[in-house]
Parts: sequence; structure tokens; C-alpha cells
Amino acid sequence: MSGDIRLRREFIATALLLVLLALLPLVQRDVYWLGVLVVSAYFAILASSWNLLAGFTGQFSLAPAAFAMIGAYGAALSATYYSVPPILGLIIGTGAAGLIGLVLGRIVMRLKGPYLALTTLSFAEIARLVASNSINITRGDLGLPIAGWFNDRVLWFYVFLGALAFVICGLYLLLRSKAGLFLEAIRDDEIAAARSGVRIVFWKTAAFSISSAAAGFAGALYAYFASLVTPELGLVQQTGLVVSMTVIGGMGSLIGPVVGAFLVYVTSEWLRDVGGWQLVIFAALVIVFARLFRTGLWGLVTAALQPRRGKPA
Amino acid sequence: MLTGALAADLAVNGLVTGLFYALMAVGLALIFGVLRIVNFAHGEFYMVGAYAYTIVAARLGVPLAVALPTAFLFGAALGWVVERTLMRPLYANIATWGLMRDEYAVIVTFGLSLLLVNLVDKAIGPYAFRAPALVSASRIVVGPALMSGQKVAAAGVTLVTLAFIALFLRFSYWGRAVRAVSQNRLGASLAGIDATAVSSLVFALAGGLAALAGALLSPIINASPDVGAFPAIKSYVIVVLGGMGSILGAFIASLLLGLVESFGAVLVSYQYRDTFGLVLLILFLLFRPQGLFGERGREV
Repeated sequence: MSGDIRLRREFIATALLLVLLALLPLVQRDVYWLGVLVVSAYFAILASSWNLLAGFTGQFSLAPAAFAMIGAYGAALSATYYSVPPILGLIIGTGAAGLIGLVLGRIVMRLKGPYLALTTLSFAEIARLVASNSINITRGDLGLPIAGWFNDRVLWFYVFLGALAFVICGLYLLLRSKAGLFLEAIRDDEIAAARSGVRIVFWKTAAFSISSAAAGFAGALYAYFASLVTPELGLVQQTGLVVSMTVIGGMGSLIGPVVGAFLVYVTSEWLRDVGGWQLVIFAALVIVFARLFRTGLWGLVTAALQPRRGKPA
Repeated sequence: MLTGALAADLAVNGLVTGLFYALMAVGLALIFGVLRIVNFAHGEFYMVGAYAYTIVAARLGVPLAVALPTAFLFGAALGWVVERTLMRPLYANIATWGLMRDEYAVIVTFGLSLLLVNLVDKAIGPYAFRAPALVSASRIVVGPALMSGQKVAAAGVTLVTLAFIALFLRFSYWGRAVRAVSQNRLGASLAGIDATAVSSLVFALAGGLAALAGALLSPIINASPDVGAFPAIKSYVIVVLGGMGSILGAFIASLLLGLVESFGAVLVSYQYRDTFGLVLLILFLLFRPQGLFGERGREV
């Protein structure tokens, strides 16, 4: 099937990209730039997880940053009040986000388009407001400190890269199985999918929960990296970044969000030195890509490679 | 605990806040009615209006009677440009668009919001701007309540504007065209109404109203690049409560939300006052998606 070949090609390209990224510390050991790469990998996980919902299942959620924040608080709160070790904290953060995602996903099952966007946006804002106003538990906007795990930036980079590889492999296996077919069927025509025997409720809820868990996992990992968790992790602007990265990289492809995340974040840090117009440029790019190049950078690349091989899509 | 005087004070304050919400929400409801999309950049029109007013009135020293309409026109022009450049694919060739229509609208308005916030942040600066006052009186007695003079003046302008919009929609040719396209785009087109022009008009009108709201409130809440996020979220709540696309519903829901927040802050919890509306939004979308006044049978 052509879909399978396309997915495998994307997976191989992503794997190559990750290997290339893994070589980066050989040439760049600057602490600041390693930090930038770590945050890029964090966003790459968020964007990939969001892409599972928006790109593959057709559920346009505006809550990925909120789930990352939930994961981060899951880890930080359990570390602060029950002094659990980091590995357990990661599991708790991931589990909390996945569980809340399961409930929210089940609730918003019926909603589509603008209605789903509004509901998930409201959920994200409520979660953030609760985190920043529950001062006696979370210390509010001051943020909750959490004991760091280790300090070696190179090691952190590899941990994040490993986490990203783990998420990408998981997504690949999921999408390659029958589940991937079901999800895309739901995206393309929910009613037809239901009539063909796809269990809509189960698969949509599962996709929402898996995506939330992956975002929570990224957030929990980030909590240990930054050793401070603030409600700012859940800001709508963070979701804006995730959406921008996915749209620029290429929505609905496995590699698009990864390319988008590293490209947008690394370039924006690099542009920061020359006047800080980076966010203006990226917002403009999002609009241009959404308007004119709907398949993103990855789509442009594959389209450019196509004629040389002499076979149409 | 809740004395009569306090209740009256809360009621007046809630209603006045609700009036400001209405200026934003009516535009959002108009856009939803005609285009079936939520404009996630609505708050940025508010922000642009606040800046336009502040700069024109403070830097150029233009009198109020000119500065307020300038802000409105600026927002309207921006809305018109946005509709012409970004919204056209939504209905230009509906057949080929199909699948990703809703997602496109969310992405593009979300991107526009990011663009405008950061553009103003870079071009003008991240610091709050002090706007010139609307009136010199600092406190005015309104019935049982004592209110800031700015608020009373702004509420007066708001009421007149809303009344004007209501008359426009009810009686003018273009107002009737807007309502016709909201009811049935294809039917209205067949009856000879220029649905594309109506879409432009609605976006311009909504942009102008949001900008006017920003201009009117800028003396109270100084203009800064992210000032629009808050009123935008309120207006999302309101259009859902009122029934997406219903103008009268949006107006009534605005006043209701103003009251709910004003009383809720005292009676329930001050800390969590901003979450009431959001919880209402989710509950409504789940259990009564047609809102208080919307029509049944809409695809959700």
C-alpha cells in the first residue's frame, strides 16, 4: 500500500534526522546551545504528539501545552510532597496527563472543528488558572522547584533525543498497525468509518489519551531538566508554538513536526541576536504555509524530489 | 453577607462590564454566523484599537470625537484586509476545500493572532501605554453605584454603538443581507445577495467593533501587546453561551457573564473568578451546544 510506503519513508527520514542530531554535540558543546537543542527536542515531542491528534485523527486540540504542564506538575508535586525518585516521577507525570486526556478525550468526542478548539482551549486555560491560583499547593506563579536529576547538558540532550526517538517509534508502530488505518479513516470520514465497523469512540479517545500522555511525558522530563515548574508551561502561546512548528514542518507526516520544531526553535534562538523579529517571521510563515503550502516543508521537499524520479504521486 | 446595597453595586458593575463584552462578542457572533468559523485573532483587533486610539489621541493630540472613530476605522480596515487575503479560501471553492476547512480557519486565525501580538511588540514595544482619559470626572454616581468616570463614558458610547448596530442589522439592506447569509449562504446567493461582499463587511464590522472596545477601555487597562487575550476569551465564552452566531444571544449572554463574574467573585471565589466562564463554555458545548438562544440542529 502506498500509505505504508510513505509512512516507512518518513520513518527512515526521521531516524536519519535523529542520528544527524545525535552527532551535533561533537561540534557544539556550548552549554547555551545544548540547552536550545534540549528545548527543541521537548517541542518536537509535543508537536509529534499533537500531530497524532490534528494530523492523523482530525481532532484539532488546543491543549498540548496544558498537558505538558500537567505532566510537569505531576512530576514536581509528587517529588515535592512524596519525594519520589525521577523515574517514578516521570511515570506519574505521564500517567496523570494520559488519564486526564482520557477523560477529556471521552468528553469532547462529539465535538468538531471550532467547537473542539474552543473546548480544549477553555480546558487549557482552566488548568493553567488552577495551577497559578492554587498558591498553597503549587506556589502559583512563583513556580515549584524540583530537585534536578543531573547537570550534564550533553547527557540531557541525549536523554531528550532518546525520549523523542521513543515517541517517534511508538507513533510509527501505532500508525503502521491497523490502528493507524482506523485513525485516518476517522479523520477522512467519520460516518463512513463507523459504518465500516471502526470503533469511533474507542479509537478517538485512545488517540487523545496517547497524545496527552506523550505531551505529559515531555513536560515531566522538562520539569527535571529545568528544575522549576511554572504555570507558564501551559500558556496558550506555547500551544501556538507547537501548532506553528507542526504546520511549518508538515502536518500529517511523521517527520514534519520534528523538522518544524528544531528548525523553528533553533533558528529563532539564532535570530534572537539580530533584533528578535523571529516570532513575527514565524507567525507570518505559519499563515503563508497554511494558505499556500498546506503540506509544509516536508511536503515541499517530497514534491521537489518527485519529478526527478519521474513518477507522479 | 450580601446586603442590598452591595448587590445593587455588583449588579451595576456587572452590567457595565457586560456591555463591554458585548462590543467584542457581537462581532465574533457576526463572523461565526456568516463564515462558520471562530476568529481566534479577535482579541488582537481589540489590542490594535487600543493602540490606534492611544497613539492618535496622545501623540497627535487629536480630539476624542475623531480619535475614537479613527480606531474603529483602523480595526475595520484591518478586518477587511484579513478577510480578503486569508478568509477567501473558506468559500471560494468549497467543494475542493472540504476536509480541512475548520482546521485551516483555526490555524490561520491563530497564526494571525501570534503575528499581530509580536509585530506590535517589536514595532511599538512591550511596555504598557497610558491612554488619554475619555472624561475628566474620576467618579460618577450611577443609580446605586459609584463608578469610574471612564467606565461610565465608555458604557455610554458602547450603548449608542450597539443600538446603532441593532438598527443597521434590522432595517438596512446590508444588515438584512448579513442575516440572510447567516441563515443560508447558498440560498442568499441565489436570491441575488453578494455573499462575498457580506463576508468582507462582517469582518470589517467585527474588526471595527473590537477595535472600538479596545479604544474605549484603553484609559482603564493600558494598551500592551497581549492585552487582547483576556477579552477574546470572554467573547468565546459569550458566543457559546448565547448560541454561536446569534447576535441577540451574544448581547444577552454578555450581560449575563458580566453579572455572573461580578457576583461570583464575591459569593463563590475571587481567585477563580476567571474560570467560571470557561467552565460554563465547556458545559454548554457538551449539553446545550445551541446555547441559550441559538437554533437547534446545527452540526456540532
